[in-house]
Amino acid sequence: MNKQIAAFAAAGLCAVLATSCSGNSGAKTLPEKGMKFVVGFDADFPPYGYKDGDEYKGFDLDLAREVCARNGWTFVPKPINWDAKDMELDSGAISCIWNGFTINGREDAYEWTEPYVDNSQVVLVKAGSPIKTLADLAGKTVAVQTDTPVQKALAPDGDCAELGKTFAGVVVTPNYNNAAMELDSGAVDAVALDVGVAKQKMLDLPGKFEMLDQTVMTEKYGIGFKLGNTELRDAVQKTFKEMVADGTAAKISAEWFEGKDVIVLAP
Amino acid sequence: MPLAGLLLDLLEGLCVSAEIFALTLLFALPLGLVVAFGRMSRWWALRQVSRVFVSVMRGTPLMLQLFFFYFGPYYIFGIPLKPSYRFAACIIAFSLNYSAYFAEIYRAGIESIPAGQHEAAKMLGFTRPQTFFRIVLPQVVKRILPPVTNEVITLVKDTSLAFTLSVMEMFTVAKMAASAHTTMLPFVVAGAFYYVFNYLVAWGMERIEKMLSYYR
Repeated sequence: MNKQIAAFAAAGLCAVLATSCSGNSGAKTLPEKGMKFVVGFDADFPPYGYKDGDEYKGFDLDLAREVCARNGWTFVPKPINWDAKDMELDSGAISCIWNGFTINGREDAYEWTEPYVDNSQVVLVKAGSPIKTLADLAGKTVAVQTDTPVQKALAPDGDCAELGKTFAGVVVTPNYNNAAMELDSGAVDAVALDVGVAKQKMLDLPGKFEMLDQTVMTEKYGIGFKLGNTELRDAVQKTFKEMVADGTAAKISAEWFEGKDVIVLAP
Repeated sequence: MPLAGLLLDLLEGLCVSAEIFALTLLFALPLGLVVAFGRMSRWWALRQVSRVFVSVMRGTPLMLQLFFFYFGPYYIFGIPLKPSYRFAACIIAFSLNYSAYFAEIYRAGIESIPAGQHEAAKMLGFTRPQTFFRIVLPQVVKRILPPVTNEVITLVKDTSLAFTLSVMEMFTVAKMAASAHTTMLPFVVAGAFYYVFNYLVAWGMERIEKMLSYYR
């Protein structure tokens, strides 16, 4: 805890220093042709950004490379120590943090783009079910797919262990379709899953399921810039939206997510 | 990850696997005999029913049968499922599937007894049930032990299919631990557990074979 406070204080100090003596570091704050666009990322976060042999690869890095190519910037992937990300950003050593970076809980700490990936975990119940809120799930049986974020979150050592504890039981299914069948046949009372999959299930089987308004976990990914650096943020977001409009973003997504388009950014 | 925790998790999974194994044998071994009798029945209709049963049970994947017996009541008859039905459906599917294989092994054993023995028993005034239980069956049991051991060992390994119905048997636990901690160790341990389990099964069956090898 103390470390975090120290990091914050250091970050604040750096911010003051950086504003007072800007222009002496590698990454420019104003977008211009030929500038270095330094993407800060944690090299241990596949598929968003990771090290493969001598190369840095990832979904986010591919997106960033394309943004740079379109703006005539030099793309520089810069693996950073995740704990030092604020200092890296505020000092100008990196232009942005682009790394499956969760907006929720950090809304005011960065200059954010609109979310481009929605990784929220939601709950599906049968249409007409008396379950309307997460609290209603107490004493109910909930299905999750094996090896998914929500399974980890609901486990006794997970981020949503408190919620998980209220359930009568968690049934771990081999795949999403099994979970939907378990729900449909009444063997379980609810399914906790990724919002993208939940929406697809409701489209595939219209009228069968309902989604609770409350989410188990809200997780939206955005690109984080230094507070105040709206010019660069706007430039990146504009290019990103162009990539969504012409299908380039969907193509990059398909390469990393088995043909799926995970991008929720509107063009 | 701590090895002790992993072993404990896998042992818990092994208990589920062992439970499926024991209950399947408990139901499939006698059921197989009934099916074998059907296959050799004097009545045509009964012979055909048993033949089709064996044909379907052997001819479709066990994974599909697990699905059928679990989800069938709802998707065919509209009966809502209860959580407790999960394990029951698993045992029903395993028992019926294995009974088909056992039936054919029994039939092979029973038909291998020379017709002369039946004739001799009849001459000595044995009734049909007496002939079967006192003369034929004891010889059949001895003869079919090796192929039965084969099936029983296959059953130990097939228990991993129970995850089709979200039953947390040992291999599922191993897969989860492996993916959660990015290590191959759980697979190595699970493999060792299966091997030891099967080694004990084979050893036990060999003991029974020796015990029954009188007259030699």
